[in-house]
Amino acid sequence: MSDGLRLDSLLLALLIALSAGFTLALGSDFASLATFQSIAFQLPELGLLSLAMMVAMLSGGIDLSIVAIANLAALAAATALVGFGPNPAGLWLGPLLGLAVAALAGAVNGGLVAWSGLSPILATLSTMTLYGGAALGLSRGGVVAGFPPAILWLGNGSVAGVPAPLVVFAAAALAVGVVLSATPFGVAVRMIGSNERAVRYAGVDTASVILRVYLLSGVLAGVAGLVMLARFNSAKAGSGDSYLLLTILAAVLGGVDPSGGRGRTTSLILALLVLQVIASGFNLLEVSAYLTLVTWGAVLLAVIARPALARAFLRRPETST
Amino acid sequence: MTSRTLTSILSAAAFAATLAGLSASPGAAKEPEIVAVVKIEGIPWFNRFAEGVKQAGADLHVKATQVGPAQADPAQQVKIIEDLIAKGVDAIVVVPNDAKVLEPVFERARAKGIVVVTHESPDQKGADWDVETIDNKKFAEEVFQKFADLTGGKGEFGLFVGGLTVPLHNYWADTGLAYLKDKYPDLKPVADRLPVGESLDDSFKATQDLLKAHPNLKGIVGFGSQGPIAAAHVLQQQGLVGKVAVVGTVLPKQAAPYLKDGALNAGFLWDPKDAGYAAVAVAKKVLDKKPIEPGFELPGLGKADVDPAKRQIKFDQIKTFTANNAASFGF
Repeated sequence: MSDGLRLDSLLLALLIALSAGFTLALGSDFASLATFQSIAFQLPELGLLSLAMMVAMLSGGIDLSIVAIANLAALAAATALVGFGPNPAGLWLGPLLGLAVAALAGAVNGGLVAWSGLSPILATLSTMTLYGGAALGLSRGGVVAGFPPAILWLGNGSVAGVPAPLVVFAAAALAVGVVLSATPFGVAVRMIGSNERAVRYAGVDTASVILRVYLLSGVLAGVAGLVMLARFNSAKAGSGDSYLLLTILAAVLGGVDPSGGRGRTTSLILALLVLQVIASGFNLLEVSAYLTLVTWGAVLLAVIARPALARAFLRRPETST
Repeated sequence: MTSRTLTSILSAAAFAATLAGLSASPGAAKEPEIVAVVKIEGIPWFNRFAEGVKQAGADLHVKATQVGPAQADPAQQVKIIEDLIAKGVDAIVVVPNDAKVLEPVFERARAKGIVVVTHESPDQKGADWDVETIDNKKFAEEVFQKFADLTGGKGEFGLFVGGLTVPLHNYWADTGLAYLKDKYPDLKPVADRLPVGESLDDSFKATQDLLKAHPNLKGIVGFGSQGPIAAAHVLQQQGLVGKVAVVGTVLPKQAAPYLKDGALNAGFLWDPKDAGYAAVAVAKKVLDKKPIEPGFELPGLGKADVDPAKRQIKFDQIKTFTANNAASFGF
């Protein structure tokens, strides 16, 4: 896919240029191990949520409920963790319960999209409200907090200098990458994203594939919820609400086709890095957070409008890719 | 395709050069750097807070700046603080969106030797000090005492808070209701507190509903900057000014017209500029390794009540806004 590779080289060039620019502007304040660790701590939550969003978008759908699922899963895990107290069984059962809740929530999404005929945007908008409301209701808007050190390590510790949340994200990204590119399921997801009817007529059980797409999306959101729980030492309905639209931004910047079918995990990771470097650089420069949003928007526009811009300015005959 | 990649690299480089132009002032003298991280950027409340931060910076010879997320999301505050840790600032002053969420990142900051001072977050864990410009118990009691005076200590009233998870508003509500129960048992809330106080629209609707459902309503107590304003506005529209009392937290500039015509009886608050100033000054004190003891004093803020066990510094700067003085405040 030369198109995907071209996007990768563009994103990589952007990343290098941004890093060079911030290094010029900030010197050792930016080009330091500490900054890269800071970026590595911040990337995973949004990264995991973006993976969840990408999986749904690849199938031609969207999952608006990912942040709500993350919070619901985190609250379930947190309640169990606190309930078990010092009992070490909680260390396994808490997170496991969180993931089970996330999987169930994802499966409900999948069932709705696959069998009810609701469009994914409406189905997940409804469940987003439902899960968010359930989380708010069950927790009464309060915070569940106070976890054992082993759990906090998952969010705040490091393995040989590499932040633990980044390890979780890397493992998830690798798994998703392999599943999407090297399994029949992955192929089916892309094909459904391109033309669902054709795939169904070809004898593929599209409903079951869609169910699994949203199940996977839900589980990834659940993992994001656990990472957030560990990073913040607390779980609460509504935390990270501002991430939802950012995941779509990251996915689209990473070349995921909003109408489905196309998208690669590598490009998504590069896109996440570009967004994070912009945010961290501007934070270090102590300029307005709104400038970060403006720049993100401008970068996204520039990247997605690139074919049109190229056509307009270079006046080249259209070449097929 | 190579030429296109080249163009993109070139344009990216141009962007990088622009960024370099944004370069912060070259680190001249070794002034300590104190950064305030507020709940959200670009709202009047925190613009006023920034004035205090800036003034403290000038008075105390520190590089004091203010940043904040574009959305009032605790997760975004954590990210900003992580970047500041990486940058190696000397102290941070934080107005938390959520006290719990910030605990781990505060601990990481302090492990790196960064001083952490909070504001509007009593009982914050992980911080060196929490600075308050009011005594919250006294504040709540003053608001409800004024309300009892206005209503004659009898009748039904409505109560607004900014949100059910906003610690301070709910603390004021709890404290105030307990105070009424004790002193004015005949003054009772008609319903549970309503989480509408930060939204003009929601408070507007809630006031209309309360008046419709309870024709004998004697008044409204509103926490959250928009609640009392909206309630006063409804009274003006329905010709109930003088019949229903309204008190609560307001920004004086916004409240001045309502105070003047009596729709709003009294406003209570503190000046965020004082808070910004005090928090930076406390951070500087800690950086200088100077002890903060009972009797600690700051110019313009007076003596503080220092609780070394709870790591809390409380100034007594409750501001009461009336028709006469509201216009004289600079915010």
